[in-house]
Amino acid sequence: MSSKLRSGTRLGATQLRFRFDGRDYVGQSGDTAASALLASGVRLLGRSMKYRRPRGLMAAGPEEPNALLTVGTRPLIVPNVPAPQLVLRDGMRLHSQNRWPSLRYDLSSLLQAGGGVFSAGFYYKTFIWPSWRRYETLIRNLAGLGPAPGAADIPVPRIEHLSCDVLVGGGGPAGIAAALAAARAGANVVLCEREPVLGGELDFERATVDGREASDWVAVSLAELAGHGARILAGTAIVGGSDGLVVAHTEPGGLAGKATVYKIRPRRFVIAMGAIERPIAFVDNDRPGVMLLGAAERLLARYGVAAGASAVLFGNHDRLYQAAQRFVAAGIRVRAIVDTRDAGTLERRPALAALRAGMMRAGVDCLVGSAVVAAHGRLEVNGASVARRAAPDERRRIECDLLLVTGGWSPAVHAGLHEGGVRRYAGASAAFVADGQPGWRATTGAARGILELGAVVKDGHAAGALAAQACGAGAAPGIAPVAVGDCEPALEAFWRSPARRAEEKRQFVDLQNDVTVADLRQVLAEGFIDIEHIKRYTALGMGTEQGRTSAVLGAAIVAELKGEELPGVGIARTRPPYHPMTLASLAGHRTGDQLRVLRRTPLYAWHASHRGVLESAGYWMRVRYYRSNGGDATAAGIEEARRVRAHGGIVDGSTLGKIEVAGRDAAAYLDRLYLTKASTIKVGRSKYMINLREDGMVLDDGIVLRLAPDRFLATTSSAHAEHMLAHFEHYRDVEWSGREVALANVTEAWAVIVVAGPSSRATLGMVLGADWPARIGALTHMDFAAAPWQGRELRVLRASFSGELAFELHCRPASAVPLWEALAAAGLPPYGLEALDILRLEKGYLVSSELTGSTTPGDLGMDALVRLGNRCVGRDLLDRPAFQDPARPRLVGLRAADGKAVIVGGAQLTLDARATRPLGYVSSSAYSPAVGEWIALAFVARSVAEGAELIARDPLRGSNTAVRVAPPVHFDAGAERMKS
Amino acid sequence: MKRLSCPFCGSRELEEFLFHKTLPEPGSDAYAAVYERVNRLDDSHEYWQHVHGCRAWLYVRRNPSTGEVHETVLLGGSTP
Repeated sequence: MSSKLRSGTRLGATQLRFRFDGRDYVGQSGDTAASALLASGVRLLGRSMKYRRPRGLMAAGPEEPNALLTVGTRPLIVPNVPAPQLVLRDGMRLHSQNRWPSLRYDLSSLLQAGGGVFSAGFYYKTFIWPSWRRYETLIRNLAGLGPAPGAADIPVPRIEHLSCDVLVGGGGPAGIAAALAAARAGANVVLCEREPVLGGELDFERATVDGREASDWVAVSLAELAGHGARILAGTAIVGGSDGLVVAHTEPGGLAGKATVYKIRPRRFVIAMGAIERPIAFVDNDRPGVMLLGAAERLLARYGVAAGASAVLFGNHDRLYQAAQRFVAAGIRVRAIVDTRDAGTLERRPALAALRAGMMRAGVDCLVGSAVVAAHGRLEVNGASVARRAAPDERRRIECDLLLVTGGWSPAVHAGLHEGGVRRYAGASAAFVADGQPGWRATTGAARGILELGAVVKDGHAAGALAAQACGAGAAPGIAPVAVGDCEPALEAFWRSPARRAEEKRQFVDLQNDVTVADLRQVLAEGFIDIEHIKRYTALGMGTEQGRTSAVLGAAIVAELKGEELPGVGIARTRPPYHPMTLASLAGHRTGDQLRVLRRTPLYAWHASHRGVLESAGYWMRVRYYRSNGGDATAAGIEEARRVRAHGGIVDGSTLGKIEVAGRDAAAYLDRLYLTKASTIKVGRSKYMINLREDGMVLDDGIVLRLAPDRFLATTSSAHAEHMLAHFEHYRDVEWSGREVALANVTEAWAVIVVAGPSSRATLGMVLGADWPARIGALTHMDFAAAPWQGRELRVLRASFSGELAFELHCRPASAVPLWEALAAAGLPPYGLEALDILRLEKGYLVSSELTGSTTPGDLGMDALVRLGNRCVGRDLLDRPAFQDPARPRLVGLRAADGKAVIVGGAQLTLDARATRPLGYVSSSAYSPAVGEWIALAFVARSVAEGAELIARDPLRGSNTAVRVAPPVHFDAGAERMKS
Repeated sequence: MKRLSCPFCGSRELEEFLFHKTLPEPGSDAYAAVYERVNRLDDSHEYWQHVHGCRAWLYVRRNPSTGEVHETVLLGGSTP
């Protein structure tokens, strides 16, 4: 825990303070949480998900399985952030996960000491009797990774949309070469890299490119890219891509930084996302201090952190020796290099022999044909047991505090598999590459299985040039850079060290989900032999790590246990997101008010300020009732409805759909769309019309006004306005094109106020003034008059949805509030949807409960209209025999048999309380103040006569009500009030 | 297929369009036109509408398996 400044390629000179598990530590600007903690001597960083084994840092990127930290202070926390991905900020608060009460002394590890009970799929076989629910809470609290934040106040990310010619995913050597080639060729390039600094492994590999230091080349290339106008997104991870859309995400592991989600639409996507190092399984290979070789190299080069003082290196390729050289030069003692390849392989390679000789001279024990069979230590590794592969039981112990493992690299196939594609086995890297990509994506570099730097850079350049060419960028991409770095690794596949059967349950394959070799053996014995089933049964490859280090390793061990070849076993398909994203990022700004459009009528503010209770109906905010009229919707609705019949009232009908239809062929056109004829409507009059869907069902009803010989206004129900417009446009443009018909959606151009009740005519005349009283007096039912009022257009239509004498006022939005206020001041109180529904129900008028889309005109009692009707849309399919079936329900009214009982909407109607087949159901019901009892509209089989007694059954609430079939018009059957 | 090319407005995001239905086979009677469709893996004839744009009805012929759009025709009286 020294406070001396370290030096590294990513480090700055400022000291930063942070807190981990309640203790204060010091780091430097540019540090990650992982490097700062390791530099401070903290090696225990987490506990495993299932067995709660102590774990430390294993990897250097998002593939880190165990060092997952929770950032922030409750309730605003972000869980499960891999420590190597968390760039340190001053004052950051970090917490380890999965432990209680503390990381060092974790009691839950005692509970799970019985490894046998908690093997793969244990929850299918245990904790069932007497009821699994008893154990559920306990298991849920013990399982999983970090805790979820408790607050809803998570900052909303920015969403940025970009288009470009070539998107290069990955800013390592292949990615930079590809971006350069494409940019030089003249393409519009975006380069996306998940680390905050570009260059990939060039910062520790000590390579040269075109004769200069790799880091110089990176800097010069980035400057050149900027000069070409390329956009470089650093610290931004690609989370998925398909169908021409790639989503990338920057969420600097905490809340202080603002997340941004990029939605990128490239014409070509070059995937240069590299290859991920994988471990080898041996006994206790999960101890803190057992790390991937590349992770230790990165810690050293980027952050100046020596992950240990005395190291053993274990692996199956040449880079072991090059890495050892670098460690020795940095002062880390390398006790041994354990190479799994046999002496014969090594003898054939003289360059390697020279490297080995140099290491041996430096005092490093270079073993061949050997493996590390076990790690020792509990909270920290303190030694390794090695043995020759030929004689695995002759083990000897080497003291060390750092055990670096490398089994090779698996190309990052995830991003290449989000849209089809196959996994092809690449023997040279003993891993899978993504193949069979759709044309707009291509993989390059290590992501394609190429591991030697010179070849990687050349391949990247070629891919970039090809992508640019495909976008039509024709300038010269330049010569491919020549890079010299670490040698070709010459890898020989090696997956797990030899072990006795009893030891296999401590050979870890997936460190995040605690999947061991014993689990894989068990799952095969249980019959789950397909890799996708194995993944789901053992959880191999799940979690934040998503199989980055464990998928190929797991598949290879499964292949060994099954006795099959690895290409045949395959790896499980991966899906977006490639990196975990918070739900807040996925939702973006589509939350709360911005999730759905809200539409308000011009009278909205008036309703809100006059105690109107507003509810959303579809996208509209509508008044259900006014609080001054009653304590709840039912009471207020009854009072408002009573008042309208007694005296009068006004209701806001502005949400009504309105479509103007004009042109020479307008009348003939409407004739073909509606069941009843529009061409017979006289100018100045209107008609109640219904139209049909193509299959003969009633689609919508409304009033059509004829404004002029060639101009009509068709009204639709509020819910159907959009659909009806599209329906009208379809017939005009597709089925009957060539007619002269213009359509305009004027729903929002006209506010509608309905004035209803006995005093409506007089009050309206008085409010409108001038010669309006005479005009209104002259209107008969379904007439309308149009003239200016207060300088703006006004139409007064005499039509009724309440059965009272009523007028529908169509005015300009600017007139709505003055007109409404004048009417209210003249003694007409407002009423809402609740009362509107009672009034229309009393008269048997239809709303969406009856116009369900599965009712025909015949079902609704409109046989006369059908007989007179037009050859219109849907007419042909109306003549189907099933529509005349006596069992087919038709519209009737219902009354309670005792004149008092409640009739429940939706109740099923049967002949008696024991019958199981319903004859129909109740479509709408309400208490009617005009009639003094509950009334309903229902659909009942045609064979049931008026006056028949039925039972209305509500099985959910357990009620049976005796009802009597009645006419659908419950009040004022002769429509006297409307015609008065 | 994240974008559609409206002959009037150009290449636009898919969210601006509304898929209505696939076309019935040519020569279908009224019943078949409402209820019967032929499913083809590689060739789908569809009606779309640019509802959040020019509201044009479009005939789109595309490959439903790959999303590739072969043809987009503006329907209706006036041509752009």
